[in-house]
Amino acid sequence: MPLVIYVEADGARHEVDVPLGENVMRGAVNNGVEGIVGECGGGLACATCDCYVDAAWADKVGGPSSDDERDMLESAAAEVRPTSRLSCQIAITPELDGLVVELPERQY
Amino acid sequence: MATAPIVIPENDPKNPVPFPLPRLAGMDNVPPHVPKELIRSTGLPFSPEFNENPYEFFPRMHETLPPIYYDVGPMQNAWQLIKHEDAFFALRHGEYFSSASSTPFPRDPKDYFYFLPIEIDPPAHRKYRAIVDPLVNPQAVLKWEERIRTLSNQLIDAVIEKGECEFTEDFARPLPVCVFLDLMGLPQDMRDQFVTWVVQLLKNMDPAKMIGVMKEIGDYLNTAIAEKRRNPDEGMISRIVHAAPNGEPLSEKEIFGFVFFVFIAGIDTVYATLNNIWYWLARNPERRHEMIGDPGNINAQVEELLRVFSVTFSGRILKQDLELRGVKMKAGDRITSVLPACNYDPEVFPNPREVDFHRPRKPILAFAGGVHSCMGAHLARLEIKIGLQEWLRRIPDFQVKPGVDVKYVPSAVVGPEPLPLVW
Repeated sequence: MPLVIYVEADGARHEVDVPLGENVMRGAVNNGVEGIVGECGGGLACATCDCYVDAAWADKVGGPSSDDERDMLESAAAEVRPTSRLSCQIAITPELDGLVVELPERQY
Repeated sequence: MATAPIVIPENDPKNPVPFPLPRLAGMDNVPPHVPKELIRSTGLPFSPEFNENPYEFFPRMHETLPPIYYDVGPMQNAWQLIKHEDAFFALRHGEYFSSASSTPFPRDPKDYFYFLPIEIDPPAHRKYRAIVDPLVNPQAVLKWEERIRTLSNQLIDAVIEKGECEFTEDFARPLPVCVFLDLMGLPQDMRDQFVTWVVQLLKNMDPAKMIGVMKEIGDYLNTAIAEKRRNPDEGMISRIVHAAPNGEPLSEKEIFGFVFFVFIAGIDTVYATLNNIWYWLARNPERRHEMIGDPGNINAQVEELLRVFSVTFSGRILKQDLELRGVKMKAGDRITSVLPACNYDPEVFPNPREVDFHRPRKPILAFAGGVHSCMGAHLARLEIKIGLQEWLRRIPDFQVKPGVDVKYVPSAVVGPEPLPLVW
């Protein structure tokens, strides 16, 4: 299982093995990582799962996967940065083993 | 004189007890801390004035009412929230807003149960959501796509040659019932029985009669639960029956309240939404053609239609005193988020009455928000999307049957019926 490293705004690190086919949001929610809420369940409908992809991973992960994701990031409570993504839209693939994402101070 | 602070008990799922505070109703039961100038009687959602034209009533609320007011009605008195921001605040702050007692369905006090997970506050509610979320998340519901398409086409097959139908009975109601039966792992031959139960339960304003119907539905669900205990399958009932969060199986009452709630939540809301959308489509041929001509935009179309045609309200009860927009509310006060009005908040959705399929996507409140966000939202979106795709492909031109005056019926879920259509 690929490893995802979640870094909370206060610096706390969570290393979580997330099954292939899952996404970065569920990896957090299912493992008690509090910096991601994901209240709509991954439907691009709530903007409560945003994260900042670590610069070293930005190219591999890529930017927003749709206009909807870009729009919804504007509704997120935290500031939008160049590597902002909604974590429910980042599918876990073997290439993302070791992915580092930073979490904002608040999701709403 | 100081009064004893009101303590809202945490619902203990293992020991369900009736909620201790009564529902206040009527002008004689307005608490003294409510300022006179904030008292209104909107008539929502049962009055003839509201049901005259609900989807003009909702946007107009922003023009005629303060953002927070105390609504006095014959069924319940409550603070009502109509701002998008305020409803999200209420839905996202379980430390202030409890969802205990948030459903109006009467239960036998001697054999009480909670509707789960809706009546349990965070964090305890999470264990229930974790059981079913894998069956209803956006990826999981995709496996139902072809099935829903087939069901939609079967329902259309049955009426297309006739050139007319009563949309509620012929499409809007059977579609979600069939999907529900599949999802739960129940046989399709229960369809008509479930349709009857839905109608009896939701169109009945007499609590005594509701208890009788609920008993009948409950007896059937208990039989189904026992059957799934013996013969596990992939359906939701079986998953709930055999769940053991942290190694601890759910109690009988938890299982029953969970299965019953999925039944209540997933049927009438979808059919009211379908009725609203089809009623609008029947009267707006140019918008129908716009949708048909832009099939790649179907997801945005569904989302925008859900924004303007939301059908439910979200009730909470304050656990501690709270001041919001200068309004002082007290522990024990009931709060209703008027979700359909929030979706017309001009601060969030400029020109809110306009159905615009190219709006920037923003969070809508059709499925509420916060930890109790509708768990069936992704399935509902899929049912609406496929229903629209198949209907518009096969019956692109239709209208309300001439001479019929379509009416909204008083109900806690807003929708017009019957809806006779011709083509």
